[in-house]
Amino acid sequence: MKQSARDEILSKLKAAPRKPIPSRPGRPVLREISLTPGELIESFSKNLSQEGGIVHRVKDRREALEKLSQIAKAEGLKKVMVSTDDVIASLNLSAWGKENDLRVITSQDFDSRDSFKDAVFEEVDAGITGADFAVAESGTLGLIHDKDQARLTSLAPILHVAIVPVERMVGVYEQVIEKIFRGKKNLPSQFCFITGPSMTGDIRGVPFKGMHGPRKIIVILVGE
Amino acid sequence: MEVKTEQFSEIAREELRKAYTFLKAGANFVRMRREAALSTFPDAAAAQAYGAIIRAEAISRLPELLEEFEKNALSNGAKVFWARDATEASQYIVGLAKERGIKYVTKGKSMVTEEIGLNEVLEKNGVKTWETDLGEFIIQLLGVTPFHIVGPAINIPVEKVRDLFMEKIDLKEPTLDPVQLGHAARIFLRDKFHRVEMGIVGVNVAVAETGTILNVENEGNIRFSKSSPRTQISVMSLEKVVPTLEDALHLVRLLCRNCTAQKLSAYVSMDNGPKKSDEIDGPEELIVVIVDNGRSRIYQDEIARGAMRCIRCGACLSGCPVYRQIGGYAYGWVYSGPMGQVLNPLLLGLERTQDLYRATTLCGSCKSICPAGIDHPGLFLHYRAKDVSGDAILQTRKPPMMERIFFRLWTWAVTRHRMWNWGVRFVRPFVNKQPHEGMLREVGGLFKGWFRSRDLPSMAKKTFHDRWIEMQKENSEGRNQNERE
Amino acid sequence: MDTVSIFIPCMVDLFLPHIGEATVSLLRRAGARPIYHIEQTCCGQPAINAGYREQAKKAAKHFIQVFGDDEEVVSPSGSCVCMVKYHYPELLAEEPEWRSRAEELSLRIYELSQYLVDIVRIEDVGASFEGKVAYHESCHILRGLGVSEQPKKLIRAVKGTQLVPLNAADTCCGFGGEFANRYPDISESMVRDKVGDYISSGADVLLLCEPGCLLNIGGFLSRSHPGKKVMHLASFLAQHQETTNHRL
Repeated sequence: MKQSARDEILSKLKAAPRKPIPSRPGRPVLREISLTPGELIESFSKNLSQEGGIVHRVKDRREALEKLSQIAKAEGLKKVMVSTDDVIASLNLSAWGKENDLRVITSQDFDSRDSFKDAVFEEVDAGITGADFAVAESGTLGLIHDKDQARLTSLAPILHVAIVPVERMVGVYEQVIEKIFRGKKNLPSQFCFITGPSMTGDIRGVPFKGMHGPRKIIVILVGE
Repeated sequence: MEVKTEQFSEIAREELRKAYTFLKAGANFVRMRREAALSTFPDAAAAQAYGAIIRAEAISRLPELLEEFEKNALSNGAKVFWARDATEASQYIVGLAKERGIKYVTKGKSMVTEEIGLNEVLEKNGVKTWETDLGEFIIQLLGVTPFHIVGPAINIPVEKVRDLFMEKIDLKEPTLDPVQLGHAARIFLRDKFHRVEMGIVGVNVAVAETGTILNVENEGNIRFSKSSPRTQISVMSLEKVVPTLEDALHLVRLLCRNCTAQKLSAYVSMDNGPKKSDEIDGPEELIVVIVDNGRSRIYQDEIARGAMRCIRCGACLSGCPVYRQIGGYAYGWVYSGPMGQVLNPLLLGLERTQDLYRATTLCGSCKSICPAGIDHPGLFLHYRAKDVSGDAILQTRKPPMMERIFFRLWTWAVTRHRMWNWGVRFVRPFVNKQPHEGMLREVGGLFKGWFRSRDLPSMAKKTFHDRWIEMQKENSEGRNQNERE
Repeated sequence: MDTVSIFIPCMVDLFLPHIGEATVSLLRRAGARPIYHIEQTCCGQPAINAGYREQAKKAAKHFIQVFGDDEEVVSPSGSCVCMVKYHYPELLAEEPEWRSRAEELSLRIYELSQYLVDIVRIEDVGASFEGKVAYHESCHILRGLGVSEQPKKLIRAVKGTQLVPLNAADTCCGFGGEFANRYPDISESMVRDKVGDYISSGADVLLLCEPGCLLNIGGFLSRSHPGKKVMHLASFLAQHQETTNHRL
């Protein structure tokens, strides 16, 4: 019986001469692993700003909602798609929406992928999400995608607003891996690092934002 | 993709006429930005060296890492298909598309899909393909090959993009503003993302310990192709696997700094199987296609397999003094610049890629830049040596008879200094036929390439060897004289 | 006086012997006693570059026989020193005795400016030149041997000389041995850019430490900019009465 492609490929690879495996020195560690919480926030903000993101710091839930209102007014938001993750859920954005005269919808309002897609692609001005992590080394947000964190919410609308408690700030990616992946049985279907708005320089090296994803990303860091 | 590697010199000559000043002017700028990005590591050299070790280990342990990756990807709920060659891979993907009644696919940038000619096969079978990375989108519409592995359309003048978009994507207002042109592409492709049912993307890194596949991008087109459709196909050339997630992210740190001078690109998305049943978006099925296409053959050669370490950062292109002159087209296939010079010959066979490993001064810039620790100059010499000794794995050509005879004579003389010096004396009058102010403008019909734009000093009447012997004689005569006196 | 064995590359021997003489002169000035083994021929670079490893091995063995007993070997060329240091051990890897002799020799062979500055510890060799000079960083010397400060130190010690910056100083000049003849269009474009950078530097002389680069840049200047000078650092420092009958 003819060997399967898999078996043929693997047996060829295994039949090849074996080279000794180089021994590894210690893994290089980034400085951010030893920063204080205050320094982490500063580093995160600086790095995200460098990539064209906007960072706001607020003390608490109330200030976060105030900031969100300011953003809604400045950006002329009429209808927004929000996640149902624990951070966003705790903010009661549907009430906030009523107070600020804008429609707040979530992926749970839809019973089919196609109707959700219609909304998130064409009807909303912004996606508002929480984040599972903020990583200082590069000004990066880490989002676990699941039923409360749809993928397209942070991708399709022209504006992405992320609200992140400062307790979720870490220094380096290794710390994120430790928390999400190390020894876990049930891995998220997708985990995403987001650093700044969508970008390209493919036409004559001229950079601009909002190629396919959001043109603007605003991160509201909540807490002392 | 059509193979034009045997037209290297012609295409290079044509390209040189275009005088890519933007490549030369940009070189310093790109270099400074890359160095600044790398300096964000506490020890940039150590970080690069660690990347090289990760890739060295990955290649050393390739079969077991692939097995571990497959096991974990399967337990995450992904499907895994192994393809021996371009035909198997493309036919399988066409089959998937037809089974599902797919009318069109959106594609993320994937060079291995260019290797296997996937787009052509899909189109022939009635499935429309839409490249969605802006650069790939432009060259797909233009019908040209990529100019640079990272910025495939970077050389296309804005006027041409404007005309193209007016013709093909209904750009209403003529504009030379890249931002507005990009916006037109965004609107056009957004509709495709909205309704797509099958997305086909590449894989930047695959992780053995968790079965994770990673994509690194700035535009967001790959995330769309992995979020919107019900079926996701991730095509992976088999060398992309690494042992751990930490390894993968270290490589991504290096990739982003070396490629675009960023600490991290806008989106790094990591998949562990299809969506969970309660998620509203994401693929219901995730199929990983592992492509061999000659790599298990190349792997048999312990030295050549070093080329498989490449992480596609493209830094070698920016550092290469030859690439800077000729741009990407002359390399004649999917991969260009120094990484193309080491990869294309392995994938296509040495016989029809002669120029790719000879059109180099062995200046070593590529090797000094590479975060995967590839020794490009060493590989070029290895391929040349294999041509001479003959090798079935690398599919070599036979060296010309005159060359073999020359080196036989050369060896005979080089080990016998009297013959060597006699040979020099013998050859001199033929070489020095017509010096002009001590410089030669030609040497019979030989070395025409050199003499087109350069002179050569005439061979010295007395070589250093001769002069030294003379000086020794003078000294000893002088001593004898002194002694007598 | 310490003896030091000099290795004169075939390009220098045949076409640029005055560089060999300058090398001898400089080493004497530095207090060494240079000796030259007349049995030397070629390091084998042309063979290994063309893929003729068996032939290169024979050249390597001959070289090791000739130089094997010397305490120190010095050469006014980076690419030849790289050949001996890095290629000989891997070329002879399968013959343990030859390999260890090659490894041993690789520790005792130096490029000239490296030898003067790092080993003899001399920077001022008593030369003087009123004017501006620029320095081209040859590929094998810079990236192969890590030698860059040494030539510059020697240049800065020359009385009256100003070392001016050279744009893209470490970009290849387009020689590459056979490359220049086989891919003349590309090579010409590279050397033209190098010469353009030289001219815009405002330097009176372009200096370098690699005979191949000298032939390439000098050959191009001779054809298109006959007035412009390029010199090997050894010639510049030795400041002999010119014993050549040509422009380089």
